[in-house]
Amino acid sequence: MEPKPRLLAILDIVTVLLLITAVGMVFLYAPLEAVMGQVQRVFYFHVANAWVGMLGFLVAAIAGVAFLRKGDHKWDVVGMAAVEISFVFFFIAIVSGSIWARGSWGTWWTWDPRLTTAAIVELVYAAYLMLRQGIEDPDRRARFGAVYAILSFISVPLTFISIRIFRTIHPVIIGSGAAGAEGSFDMTPKMLQTFMFSLLTFSFIFADLLWHRIRLGKLADKTENLRLKVIQ
Amino acid sequence: MLTSILQQAPAETTRYMVAGYSVIFSVMFLYVVSLIIRRRNLKRDLEILAEMEPKEK
Repeated sequence: MEPKPRLLAILDIVTVLLLITAVGMVFLYAPLEAVMGQVQRVFYFHVANAWVGMLGFLVAAIAGVAFLRKGDHKWDVVGMAAVEISFVFFFIAIVSGSIWARGSWGTWWTWDPRLTTAAIVELVYAAYLMLRQGIEDPDRRARFGAVYAILSFISVPLTFISIRIFRTIHPVIIGSGAAGAEGSFDMTPKMLQTFMFSLLTFSFIFADLLWHRIRLGKLADKTENLRLKVIQ
Repeated sequence: MLTSILQQAPAETTRYMVAGYSVIFSVMFLYVVSLIIRRRNLKRDLEILAEMEPKEK
């Protein structure tokens, strides 16, 4: 079995240190928001989780293209790893967003364009994970995964731009000119620094988890190949 | 004076913040644990299979 690479061990430590710092910034450095109060602090990690979700779905689509072009099975492992991680983090983003909504809008859920498209994205990738399980042949499974990851990625930018093209109560944080939506707020420099640091931290968390999940995928493949060899 | 009269205190939403971060950290923790458990199980399977593997002469 492959020993853990030194760089991965360093990445683990850096990621944990960044996460501790980000938590400290969220609770001790960022000021209390004047209208929403404490619940606004959920925003920093809520957006960062959504960012990891979208990043991973993009990585899966790129891995899908690479697999279809080169036919190398390692890209299937990368795609599967990215989707699994992003599915988890996007789920966190949806649930934490719902809790934030309860605190600031007074409702757990509303069929707003952003919330609806986010729910669709999560369901699309839940189907990816379930359908893969039903395909026995590794080559067919990898081809299916690649095509599905590319096609389903269409839903991701749609979610990102939904709050910019439709009337919505979800605040526009990135690239916002006016803060008119319910629950929107102007970020102070400390809030912006905490927000950017959270995005950076979660990018490291994604890279670290992706590496670990790829190693797990390779180990699963190795086990499966050995199992087939023993059966024959 | 007028500003301080008109200025309202922030809404009391601490419990939603606690709930939000509880979900965020719990799910992240469970995912990391799932990675560790799956890796451990696969290593064990691999060891068993390696013992069962027919030796080439």
